[in-house]
Amino acid sequence: GPKRGGMKGGSKVVIEPHRHAGVFVARGKEDALCTRNMVTGESVYGEKRVSVEVENPNDPLVKEKIEYRIWNPFRSKLAAAILGGVDNIHIKPGCKVLYLGAASGTTVSHVSDIIGADGIVYAVEFSQRSGRDLLNLAKRRTNIVPIIEDARYPARYRMLVGMVDVIFADVAQPDQARIVAINAHQFLKTGGHFVISIKANCVDSTVEPALVFAREVEKLKQENLRPIEQITLEPYERDHAVIVGVYRPTKKKSKVSNYEKESST
Amino acid sequence: MPKSLYILYESAAGFSLFYVENFESIASNTEEFQDALSEFVRFSKLAKLIAFSPFTTAETAFDNLSKLSEYEITANLSNFLDSNLPKVKEGKKPKYELGVFDHKLAAVIHEQLKLPATSSEKITEIIRNIRLHFERFVDHLRTSDVIKAQLGLAHAYSRSKVKYNVNRADTMVV
Repeated sequence: GPKRGGMKGGSKVVIEPHRHAGVFVARGKEDALCTRNMVTGESVYGEKRVSVEVENPNDPLVKEKIEYRIWNPFRSKLAAAILGGVDNIHIKPGCKVLYLGAASGTTVSHVSDIIGADGIVYAVEFSQRSGRDLLNLAKRRTNIVPIIEDARYPARYRMLVGMVDVIFADVAQPDQARIVAINAHQFLKTGGHFVISIKANCVDSTVEPALVFAREVEKLKQENLRPIEQITLEPYERDHAVIVGVYRPTKKKSKVSNYEKESST
Repeated sequence: MPKSLYILYESAAGFSLFYVENFESIASNTEEFQDALSEFVRFSKLAKLIAFSPFTTAETAFDNLSKLSEYEITANLSNFLDSNLPKVKEGKKPKYELGVFDHKLAAVIHEQLKLPATSSEKITEIIRNIRLHFERFVDHLRTSDVIKAQLGLAHAYSRSKVKYNVNRADTMVV
């Protein structure tokens, strides 16, 4: 039959943890980003899987198989941001995430892998077509809460969402900053983080992308969403930027500890 | 005389009603005070859970979410408020306000249930902190229970939104 390319064949591949907790690098002929597959034996969108054998820590004679899914930066902006060297994605094992613009769940599935069984991702997607795929994905992965609703109306899903550590947004709408803000006001913890992917011509196709990004940064600041870093997604996406920041940044640590002292006396 | 404030909080687990003491002091709205609200010990001194009515079946939960998301008042909600808010004598003005999620919900409750419902940025701020601490207010309710309730309800709600076809789902090629 036809020869399969890529990472199949297991034994030659070595998996190493990435700097970002819950993310891994498969080192083979070519290096690839990957996440540990929560549902062993299944791909989500046709991505390749690799498995490695490791020793069982309790019984060195028994080998265990751990499976990873290759994470394609051309299919996922979060992967592109990681390969672009983003300093911190804030999405890590055990973390609670509100994901706006979940689409069919390609990236959501990797977020689900990263946060693991102790985390939860509330995945909001308005399109019914994508929503079906997202629902099926959530059937197999119990750390995904699928929400087929318009992210512009958080009132409609207020009963389904708890407070979260991170908001990730990829809604490709002109009023994206406002959408993130109204969700942050209800659901994002004080001192929580946001990761927003911005496609310049979805916001304004008449001006330079750099100007679009600068304007979005200003809008975010006005809503108490303070940007920390911004990177472009070249070469994976054109005229895209990812902005990472903190919501309601807390003042100096010393102030907080003063409060703790006060309340304990 | 300052009016007392009740807050309606809707979660996947059920309806709850909080009583907020010293609303005026919360209303001072300084950043330091807001930081303090995120500590359960301090927040629980200001907001007290006075009633929690869990949804008894998945169908009840689904029915309430679907209707409330369209700003339609359910019998469950109406009964819950009626049995837990102070009674108001006919012809008298209520001595309390009922804080709710948003202006639209406040208007509907005001109009249909004749209750003094209201919403504001400060009420939103309190609801934020109820959401943050909710499980700690309710005895025997664990975070995992709330997440389980959210999961069940979200699947039911989202299925209804995509007009889900079971047959199609089963033949889905992954």
